[in-house]
Amino acid sequence: MSEKIHGLPKAKIERNYLTWSLWMVPLAAAAVCVYFVLHDIVFGGPTITIYFQNADGLQAQNSMVKFRGINIGEIESLKLAKDGEFVAVRAKLGFPARNLARQGSIFWIVRPEVKLGSISGLRTIVSGNYITVQPGDGPRTNAFVGAEQPPLPPIPAIQLTLLTGNLDSLEPQSPIFYRGIQVGEVMGFHLSDDARDVVVEARIREDYAPLVRMNSQFWNAGGINFHAGLFSGIEISAESAETVVSGGMAFATPPDYGPPATNGAVFTLNEKEKDEWKTWNPAIQLHNVPEGKTIKTSLPQFNPR
Amino acid sequence: MDKVVACQTCGLVQEVGEVPKGCVIKCARCHFQIFHRNVDSRMRTLAFSIAAAILYFPSNFYPIVTAEYEGQYNQTTIFQGIKALWEHGQYFISGLVFCTSMFTPALKIAGLIFITLTLDWTRWKKARTYVFKTIRIIDPWNMLEVFLLAIGVSLVEMGEVATVHPGRGVLSFASVVVLTLLATFSFDPRLLWDPPEEKRIYE
Repeated sequence: MSEKIHGLPKAKIERNYLTWSLWMVPLAAAAVCVYFVLHDIVFGGPTITIYFQNADGLQAQNSMVKFRGINIGEIESLKLAKDGEFVAVRAKLGFPARNLARQGSIFWIVRPEVKLGSISGLRTIVSGNYITVQPGDGPRTNAFVGAEQPPLPPIPAIQLTLLTGNLDSLEPQSPIFYRGIQVGEVMGFHLSDDARDVVVEARIREDYAPLVRMNSQFWNAGGINFHAGLFSGIEISAESAETVVSGGMAFATPPDYGPPATNGAVFTLNEKEKDEWKTWNPAIQLHNVPEGKTIKTSLPQFNPR
Repeated sequence: MDKVVACQTCGLVQEVGEVPKGCVIKCARCHFQIFHRNVDSRMRTLAFSIAAAILYFPSNFYPIVTAEYEGQYNQTTIFQGIKALWEHGQYFISGLVFCTSMFTPALKIAGLIFITLTLDWTRWKKARTYVFKTIRIIDPWNMLEVFLLAIGVSLVEMGEVATVHPGRGVLSFASVVVLTLLATFSFDPRLLWDPPEEKRIYE
């Protein structure tokens, strides 16, 4: 109380540094913006364009690009290409997926598909269609032509060409059996130049390749063999349940087998199996498959049963 | 120009001497700051306004919310949300969200920057006052709740089937709202009509 009598106390006057430090706020705001932009530049994956003949079921700003079951990118826009022949699908890939934008990568649309012998893409009924990719290892590129069909996974294999008069029930991915074990599959087919034969492209897994000799016999194993004889009764046989609906082929190698089939060897695909082929039982040394390779080649589609 | 003021915290009446620019007055007894005027009002308002203006761009450019569900995704920026509401026939709500989330923040930021930058001009005093009045009127309409609600609803509705996570936009947007609020609070309207020689002290 005595303070008041002797005069008012003097308020302290101090230098204020707070206001200057407040300029950190706009600086921080600018830093945040710079961070956003830089993050997009540094950690932004490539934007790729995939040309599809039919982009049915894809939605801009909605559908995703998936790889091995996880999301790796998003579809930004769908546009009709200039010539009107293709749909240009622009997709933004995430940073971890930047290495998928390489030449040789195959993109295709996963749709629900019900075929004889297989049902696939059931999830897409609920989730909508999406794009998936099989990685390639070429140089980087941003433009791709989408595949209309899911491609076969690349595995070490030898390719064979088979000529036949009638395709019957064969289709891409029909299995090829050796003694009931699937050792390869049909990759595709087309008519020969003079339209007299059907040319079937097939592949045999590398570790089973020695089974195919230049004098091996191939036959169409699709459908059911129905044989009725007066004394033998009725005989019904099929290679496997799968071949009954989706076709397939089998081969046998004679005991006096020839040199191993080379890549691109041409064979004739017989309509039926001859009885004598059933007795062929040669001993053939298979490749010693290294440990690592067995994992790579034991892909699920080789064990359908 | 000695003055006698009472401390707002402890009530001590004390004498205040000449206050140089960039200094604050502190009570002789309780050492709390004596708020004779808003301290460094002009510079603070400018700092907050500029920060808000910078963040206004990402808040509108980046998505507010990203929803991901089985093979599909959905990103929504503020403007896309407004557009979607408009297309669904919710014209009133769409307009409301546009006003509260895009229009008023922009107006506020622009207004505050205009006032603080032109404060030294002897002309346009009335215009500045008018701008400040407008800012005060639109202040309560500048709100975050609408979008918080939208995000909350989507989280509740889709939490089971979808992954919903806030985007970059929502952080920037919240910062813009807070920064414009701070900017308006820092501004001392008395500066608008201070004579030049006093303004130099208080600004």
